Amino acid sequence: MKLESAIQSKRDVTHFRKKDYIRAGAFLPCMSSQKRFKESPTISEPGTFQLMDNRDPASHNKPSVSDRLPHTDLELVHGKSLTKHESHSTAELKKQLEFQNEAVPHLNALYNYALHITMNPDDAEDLVQETYLKAYRFFNSFERGTNCKAWLFKILKNNYINSFRKNSKEPGKVDYDLIKDFYHSIKDSRNDTSETDTDYFHSLLHEEVYQALHSLPEEFREVIQLCDIEGFTYEEIANMVDSPIGTVRSRLYRGRKLLRTQLEGYARQHGFYTDQDE
Amino acid sequence: MSAAVDCELSMTEEPGFFLHLSKCKRCSEEFDEARKTKLIIKERVIRFKAPQSLINSIMQLTCLSQQEAGRHESPL
Repeated sequence: MKLESAIQSKRDVTHFRKKDYIRAGAFLPCMSSQKRFKESPTISEPGTFQLMDNRDPASHNKPSVSDRLPHTDLELVHGKSLTKHESHSTAELKKQLEFQNEAVPHLNALYNYALHITMNPDDAEDLVQETYLKAYRFFNSFERGTNCKAWLFKILKNNYINSFRKNSKEPGKVDYDLIKDFYHSIKDSRNDTSETDTDYFHSLLHEEVYQALHSLPEEFREVIQLCDIEGFTYEEIANMVDSPIGTVRSRLYRGRKLLRTQLEGYARQHGFYTDQDE
Repeated sequence: MSAAVDCELSMTEEPGFFLHLSKCKRCSEEFDEARKTKLIIKERVIRFKAPQSLINSIMQLTCLSQQEAGRHESPL
């Protein structure tokens, strides 16, 4: 059975290979979800992307795409009646330019989200690559002016569910050793001991916060990532996780409460009591 | 509570919520704790730059199509 048919009939697709996806350009993002992306596209980028220290203002994050963009000289075709080939080329160039301006800047955000859900840099890279492949193929179905980042995240999430989740760990199980190893494998070996320990907030190590976050049930961790790290609105998150806004609110409330309990435990290990917080 | 922390309260919900906070110490403390937790996540979770290999392959994705387009008749 071909990949396209398998997807349409919701059959198991885990045996298909990456090149089958590339060949098929498979999986249309759900059209009904896209129609809901009609709200203001404005979201703020929360913080900057750093290799190590996210307080260092020197290293800003955007992938250096602008100086590598091929030039598209559309002036060449102005005022001329175009052949069929010329029309196709112009349309394709326009699509590329729009894609590079709208979709590519979200690469870091997508990569970080993929890292969180796959816990594996290689898988994260594959997942992001396939996401952009599908996004580019179906870019004409993306409604301009709506939130492209949210659209991309939805594609990534669906890709993950279809391609990766079946091979991943049992949901709900947390392997702390895996988290610790993974975290150390991708961050600089420099330890964060430069903070003055004036309160428990500053005493918390990045690793501890990361572990606390990953100790949460997946549905709580997911909404916290999308809200607090990526800055999506409740409506956008509701679209992405296919749940009502009320459920998103509830998961955020319960997730943060659980997280707080975990973090207090770490704080006590550092000799601080939350009653004496600032 | 979480909606208040994320500035997602509606115009009708907001006044009532903050009025309650001004009177209820327990809720007020919980609100502060929730805000602090959100801040911790925002500031303490490190975010990583995508590897150059990934950036290159995404750029190639859009450049490949342009190479194909370039093989068609020149507009000049």
